[in-house]
Amino acid sequence: MKDKNIQDNANSVPLQGLGVNSPSGVGGQAEKGKTAKYLREQLGEIPEQAKDNLKEFNRVKKTLLEALKEGELTVTQIADKVNMPAHEVMFYLMSLVKYGFVKTGAIDDMDEYFTYKLSN
Amino acid sequence: MKEKNIQDNANSVPLQGLGVNFPLGVRGGSPIKNITYDALVIGAGIAGGEAALNLANTGYKVLVVEKDLSVGGKMIMLSKVFPTLDCSACITTPKVSEISRHPNITIFTESEVNNIHRVSEVEFVATVRRRPRYVHVEDCTSCQLCEKACPVSVTDEYQYGLIGRKAAFIPFSICSPKAAAIDIENCTLCGACEKVCPTNCIDFTMQPEEMTLHVHTVIVATGFNMFDPKKMPRYGFGEYKNVITALQMERELAPTRPFNTILRPGDGKMPDKIAYVLCVGSRDASVGNPICSQICCMYSIKQAQLLMGALPMADVTIYYINIRSFGKGFEEFYQQAKGMGVNFVKGKIGRIKAKENGNLILRYEDINEGRLRESEHDMVVLANGVLPNDEVNNIFGKEKLKLDQFNFVGQTDMLASPARTSMEGVFVAGTATGPMDIPDSILSAGAASAEAISYLIQKTV
Repeated sequence: MKDKNIQDNANSVPLQGLGVNSPSGVGGQAEKGKTAKYLREQLGEIPEQAKDNLKEFNRVKKTLLEALKEGELTVTQIADKVNMPAHEVMFYLMSLVKYGFVKTGAIDDMDEYFTYKLSN
Repeated sequence: MKEKNIQDNANSVPLQGLGVNFPLGVRGGSPIKNITYDALVIGAGIAGGEAALNLANTGYKVLVVEKDLSVGGKMIMLSKVFPTLDCSACITTPKVSEISRHPNITIFTESEVNNIHRVSEVEFVATVRRRPRYVHVEDCTSCQLCEKACPVSVTDEYQYGLIGRKAAFIPFSICSPKAAAIDIENCTLCGACEKVCPTNCIDFTMQPEEMTLHVHTVIVATGFNMFDPKKMPRYGFGEYKNVITALQMERELAPTRPFNTILRPGDGKMPDKIAYVLCVGSRDASVGNPICSQICCMYSIKQAQLLMGALPMADVTIYYINIRSFGKGFEEFYQQAKGMGVNFVKGKIGRIKAKENGNLILRYEDINEGRLRESEHDMVVLANGVLPNDEVNNIFGKEKLKLDQFNFVGQTDMLASPARTSMEGVFVAGTATGPMDIPDSILSAGAASAEAISYLIQKTV
């Protein structure tokens, strides 16, 4: 599979869940390092669910990062500020911590809630 | 020793840097036919891994088929084990490494056995379907650059939904093989992962493969499923975000935890009054599972002890029907938890309701006093029970593998030969036979491999 050009296989099997045949048989070629483009071209379009999911993540990410621009906040404070359910803020915020956009700050005086701040 | 009937692993190459053996041709996308293994082990959890190792150490060639992206099963995801509180990963990782590097073991991850049929007295033909990982494992250095570049975030199933992961991702830090994978269902095919991959190991042209393989014996080690607490709406799981399952708490307690410490998923509060509800979906005929799960008492007691270490100011209460501390060292472990201050209440939970602040009101029958009571906690952990994994039920075609009355794999002679099934040459290991803890799973795997070796010696020499 490390060949530069991957020839189509006449007996190719549909890609799982995508209904696409790959590697292409007659005519299609996929250059190493550009196989996503190849599959995109084969599919014609990206599945709606994947596009919607990406849009939603980007929207929430932007909202949360904007909210933290003015300073450290707890999950509940962010939820109030951006008018989102606290559990959704928690899920996305922890994901942003994992991805390196946000870092954990100090815990409050009651030892209940941590604050979160932008990484840079 | 077994060369007579066995095509040696001459057809396989060790994966660079990983020492994992995969047959040639798998990478080329063409089905492999007529490769013979002594044994096929279905499932690469702790039982399947142990059985495979025993067979391999005796000189037999073993094919392990695992449906997940990594070997290690459920055990590799645990924080610590009872009753010793040893680190689960510290026990599992060396074993997983040994399985992965063993010259007599071939592993297919992301693969499922679709069909097995007997072609002679001592030979089965198995059809194995392998889903594409879209990453050439042998070339991946697990640098995680693809993960960083990927713009997509979806729910991380390896953290039981508590946090997100990328569509290009390494399943978890101690997974084996340690290599990235592409979640093609959620991938937007932007190509960002490919652009940053230093070894060009990402390949979207990969496709599913179907392989036909010959084996002399089969060990079923398909493990168990956890009961879905959403089937019991009175506990509020799914509706109230501070009601979590024991496996979710397991992740919160693990060193590779999703949050920086133990936090409520509902609002990020550090809990200080935690309740455990035992027998959720077990010992309950009304949900179709009348049997005891055998592990939920002890894993709850283990987690309670770990919580008291992680949150020294926290109150932990365990609501139970009976504490079944039947194994070696279990009763002492239970008494140790009591001594540490874990509160045990003999009570059956009728309903859980959430308050506006996310706290939870547990309405329960105090069994000792015969009264209805209510108590408030800020987090509830449901100790959900064990269910059979029915994926193996229909793969044997006409020659049906018999199940027991609870749909676990039936043991034809449970007392004298507990690894034997209704099919000659097919053995069963671990929790595929019924609920059991880790040491018992390993013992069961030992029994299954011993039976399989005895069978191979008698039938193939």
